[in-house]
Amino acid sequence: MKKRLGLLLATGMLSFSMILAGCGNSSKESGANGAGGASGAAETNDEAATEETQKITVWAWDDNFNVAVMKTAAEYYKKLNPDANVEIEVISNSKEDIYKKLQTGLASGGKSLPDICLIEDYSIYQYLNSYSKYFYPLNDDVDYSQFSPYKVEVMTYNDKAYGIPFDAGVTGLFYRADYLEQAGFTAADLEDITWDRFIEIGKQVEEQTGVKMTVANGTNYSSLFRTMMQSAGAWYCDSNGELTITNNEVLKESLETIKKMRDAGIILECADDSTLAGAINDGTTASVINAAWRVSTIKAEPEQSGKWAVASTPRLNNANSVNASNTGGSSWYVLDNGQDKGAIVDFLKAVYAGDIDFYSDILVNQGAVGTYLPAQEGKAYQTEDEFFGGQKVFAEFASWLPEVPSVMYGKNVPESNTAVNTALFSYLQGDITVEEALTQAEDQLKNQIQ
Amino acid sequence: MKKTQNTVNYNKYGWFFISFAMLAFILFTLYPMIESLSLSFKVLRDGEYVFGGLTNIKRLLGDKIFHKTIGNTFLFLAVQAPLMLMLALVYATILNAPKLRFRTFYRTAIFVPCVTSLVAYSVLFKLMFANDGIINYLLVNLHLIEAPIFFLNDPFWARVVIILAMTWRWTGYNMMFYLAALQNIPAETYEAARVDGANAVQTLFKITIPQLKPIILLTTIMTTNGTLQLFDEPMNITGGGPAEMTTTMSQYIYNNAFVYAPNFGYSVSMSYVIVTLVALLAFVQFKVGKD
Repeated sequence: MKKRLGLLLATGMLSFSMILAGCGNSSKESGANGAGGASGAAETNDEAATEETQKITVWAWDDNFNVAVMKTAAEYYKKLNPDANVEIEVISNSKEDIYKKLQTGLASGGKSLPDICLIEDYSIYQYLNSYSKYFYPLNDDVDYSQFSPYKVEVMTYNDKAYGIPFDAGVTGLFYRADYLEQAGFTAADLEDITWDRFIEIGKQVEEQTGVKMTVANGTNYSSLFRTMMQSAGAWYCDSNGELTITNNEVLKESLETIKKMRDAGIILECADDSTLAGAINDGTTASVINAAWRVSTIKAEPEQSGKWAVASTPRLNNANSVNASNTGGSSWYVLDNGQDKGAIVDFLKAVYAGDIDFYSDILVNQGAVGTYLPAQEGKAYQTEDEFFGGQKVFAEFASWLPEVPSVMYGKNVPESNTAVNTALFSYLQGDITVEEALTQAEDQLKNQIQ
Repeated sequence: MKKTQNTVNYNKYGWFFISFAMLAFILFTLYPMIESLSLSFKVLRDGEYVFGGLTNIKRLLGDKIFHKTIGNTFLFLAVQAPLMLMLALVYATILNAPKLRFRTFYRTAIFVPCVTSLVAYSVLFKLMFANDGIINYLLVNLHLIEAPIFFLNDPFWARVVIILAMTWRWTGYNMMFYLAALQNIPAETYEAARVDGANAVQTLFKITIPQLKPIILLTTIMTTNGTLQLFDEPMNITGGGPAEMTTTMSQYIYNNAFVYAPNFGYSVSMSYVIVTLVALLAFVQFKVGKD
C-alpha cells in the first residue's frame, strides 16, 4: 500500500513540475513578442509570423490625449509609408497600472513589456538608473538637436539618449481677463511679473471681485514649487544626482513664496486635482498656473469662451529665475526585448521626428504641444483662439519653450515631492521655520535613498 | 485486516482530494512566501536583485517614515477597532431582541455597506468631506461653523474621516458574526436569568458576553489583521496626507514598490514586519482570550 501512495505522490509531483514548466514557457514566449496576454498567444503561431506583419504594441494612459496622439501617429505612418507591414496597437490603461506593469516586467527580467511605452519625465530616470539595459538607446538613429534641449537632457543616461521627446509641460499663467479687468489690470500688467507682484495683484483682485486670485492643490503643492524651482534652473538634486535641499536658495524662496501667497489669502485650496479642475470651470478662481495641457480643462466650460487669456509664468526674485518653466510632460521609450528595432525606430523617426503636419494635427485636436522644434513653424501654432479672446495661445507657449531652464530630474522625484511637501505642510502651519523644513526634508530623503 | 484496508483507502483518497488544494497552496502561497523571504534580503543593483545582507533591515531601523506609518496604523487600530467592535455588539444585541419591529430591514441596512466596493465608498466619503461637500454644507447652514473645514488637509480631521469611513464600512460585517453567535445562545439561559431576577446589564455581562467570547476573539483578530493591512481607505480618501499623517504601513510599502524608485526588496522586508506584528498580536489576543 505504501508503494501505491508513493506512486500517487510521484504523479502529483510530475504534474506539478509540468505546470511549472508550462508557466516558464508561456512567459518566455510573451516576453519575446513583447506583447504578453492575448496578443502574445496570437503571435506564437508560426504561420502568423511568415506573413511578416510586425505588431508594435504601445502603452499609454490618456484616451483623449496621448493614446489619441499615438493613434494619429499610426495613421500618419500608414500614409507616409503605405508598404510598411506593421500594425500599431495602442493599449490604454491607467497611469498607475502602466507603471505597476512596467515595474514588475522590468523586475522580472524584462518580460511581458510593450515595444513602446509612455513614461513621464519625472519618472524616467528611476527606470533608466536601475534598468537601462531593457531600454533601447536612440542616439544613433535620431537627431536630438531638433528637440527642446531640456527634454533631451531628461532622457539622457550615461551619455546615451533614450526615447522620443513628446509633449511639453511648458507653463503659463492662465487668467480670467474679465475678473482682472474689473480689478483694473490689463494684459500688459501680467506679462513678465514676479511672484511678489502676482500677490499684490491677487489682493486687489479679491478686493474688487471677491474671487480668489489663484487655485492650488492644498494637499500637494509640489506642482507649484517644482514650477518655481525649475524657473531658476534649480532642482532637488544637482547634475551629479547629489541632493540639494538645505543649501537650495531657490527652493527656500519657492517655499517662502507659497507661504506668502497663502498668508495673503489669495489661494483657493482644493483637496485634489478634480476639485481643482472644477474650480477652474465654475469661475471661483481668477487664474491658474499650469502647463499647456491645462488648456483642455479650461476649454471644458464653453460658457467662459473669450474670458480667458494667458501670460508668461511669474518668476522668483532669484537672479537666475526666468518667466518660463515646466511641469509634467512625458516621452515615448522603446523597450529592448531582443527583437529587431528597425521597424519601430523607422516609425518613430518618420512621424515624431519629421512630420510637421502630424504635430499640427495633434496640436489642434489634442492640444499637445510637441517638443520637435521645426514643428513650431507649422501653421497651427499661429491659430488665433477665440476661447482666449483671439490670443495665439500655442504660439505663446512655443515662444516660452526655448526659455525653460534645463535641469536633471534625477531618480527620486516622487520621494522628493513627498518629503518637501510634508515639510512644507508643517512650515505652512507655522510649526517650523523654512530652514527647519528644508533640513527635515533632506534628512528624510537621505534615509530613503541609498 | 479489513479495517486497515479501509483506513489506507481513506488515506489514499484523502491525499488525492486535498492534492489540488495543496498544489494551489504550494504554488500560490508557499512558493511566493519563500521567494519573498529571500527577496527581502536583496537589493537592486543595475537591474538585478543581488544579496544585500542586512542592508534592508538596517534601513528599516532608521526609516523615520516607516516608523511614522507604524504609529499611524496602530492609532487607527487602537481607536477604530474597539469603537467598531463595541458598536457592532450593541447593534447585534438590539437587533436580536425578538420584539423589535422591522428587524430584517435594520439588519440589511447595517450590513449593506459591506457589499460596497472599498474604492467606491472611499471616494464617496472623500466627496462628502470635501470643502464644498455635503458635511461642510450642512455644518455651515446650521451655523455650527463659520467657514468650511478643510477636513482632508487637517491632521486631526483627516484621521477622523478615515476612522468614520472604516466604522461605517465594517461595523455591519462584525455585527453579523455577533448576531449569528447570539442566536446560538439558548433562550433558556435568558429565561433562567429572568426568573432569578437579573436585569438587562447583568444579563449582558454575565450571559451574553461570556458566551460570545470565542466570536469576540475571532472578530478582534480579524480586525487587527485587517487594520494592520489598511490600504484602500487612506489611499483613496486622503492619499496618505496631509504630511503622511494618514499613511499606513501598506501604503508605504506600495509607494516603495511602485511609486518611488523601484525597490521590491525593501518593500518585502517591510511586509515581513507586518506579518510579524500580526502574528504577535494574534498570539497575545489568544493568550488574553483564553485566561
